[in-house]
Amino acid sequence: MGVSVDSGNKSGKKPLNADLNLVPYIDLLTCMVAFLLITAVWSQLARLNIHQKGQGQAGEDTPPEKVFKLIVLVNGDGFNLVADQDQQPIPKKGESYDFEKLSDELKKIKDSHPDKTDIQVASEDTIKFDTLIRTMDAAMTARFPDVSLIDSGGAGI
Amino acid sequence: MPIHAPHAQLFNSVKLEVAKAKLGHEGRKSSYAALNLVAYIDMMTMLVIFLLMSFSATGEILFVQKNIVLPDAQNWTDLERAPVIGVSKDVVTLDGAQVATADELMKDSATGDFKIAELHDKLVTLKNNYKLLHPSEEFNGIAIIQSDKNVEFKMLKKIMYSVAVAGYQNVNFAVVPKAKGGGAAPAP
Repeated sequence: MGVSVDSGNKSGKKPLNADLNLVPYIDLLTCMVAFLLITAVWSQLARLNIHQKGQGQAGEDTPPEKVFKLIVLVNGDGFNLVADQDQQPIPKKGESYDFEKLSDELKKIKDSHPDKTDIQVASEDTIKFDTLIRTMDAAMTARFPDVSLIDSGGAGI
Repeated sequence: MPIHAPHAQLFNSVKLEVAKAKLGHEGRKSSYAALNLVAYIDMMTMLVIFLLMSFSATGEILFVQKNIVLPDAQNWTDLERAPVIGVSKDVVTLDGAQVATADELMKDSATGDFKIAELHDKLVTLKNNYKLLHPSEEFNGIAIIQSDKNVEFKMLKKIMYSVAVAGYQNVNFAVVPKAKGGGAAPAP
């Protein structure tokens, strides 16, 4: 392997073909490949950020009657969307939960209450974790970033 | 005595022409061959670029346990260093050490107390250690629950209660990040 600049053999001069010394480059590449392979993270994981309301935070200083309560109750039949005094059941579609309709309804509520950022997801004991994660994910997609997960008994519905 | 111009005297004593040619390496190619390294360097460069693109400076915080299948979510944030509570269908672990079994958690408590004593005590110890080691930093109260997607909420609520009682108010759930429609992960 070489760099052909000009072949000066005909005029009797020294040839200008020069071989590049690739050994340091190959060494560097080999070291980098070894280092990156050792430090590689093959399983990319992330976290769903849940703002668990602790004791003393739930009531805060705002009088309870002025707080717009938004709760998604997850039960065996589907969702029950509680927006202040209104309750809207969102039944299952066949065997699966209707996340699309839940997301649409939550987006409508967000449009009518743009300052509202918190939402509670209340679950019954038998609900699978996957369903809860998808429910909380739907709530976050509908621009309610402060999601808290509570027991359905504590929702006060 | 005549004077001859100097020339190669090698193998003059050998009479056989064939043997002379053999010994003098006449007509043979050089045994040195140049290796073509272009393909090798190309491959190494591609490998380095690929590995650099998938490089994570934070390292591996969570190890996926073989009996836990994580759910996926779109609105994820990056992981942070925090105590990891693994919840499978059989056992509950804290940083790899078993703290409770699923059978214990699925039973209804006679006293109505949801607290898992061993998990609570270990989390309190970890919290105290953090405060001792980082006296100038505020404790962020983050705990990561790495739960199987088929675990029921009945188990989870006891774990979440124990975690909250131990002083960890920010309970996060480990998920597999799912690509969303072009948006970035929301800020915490």
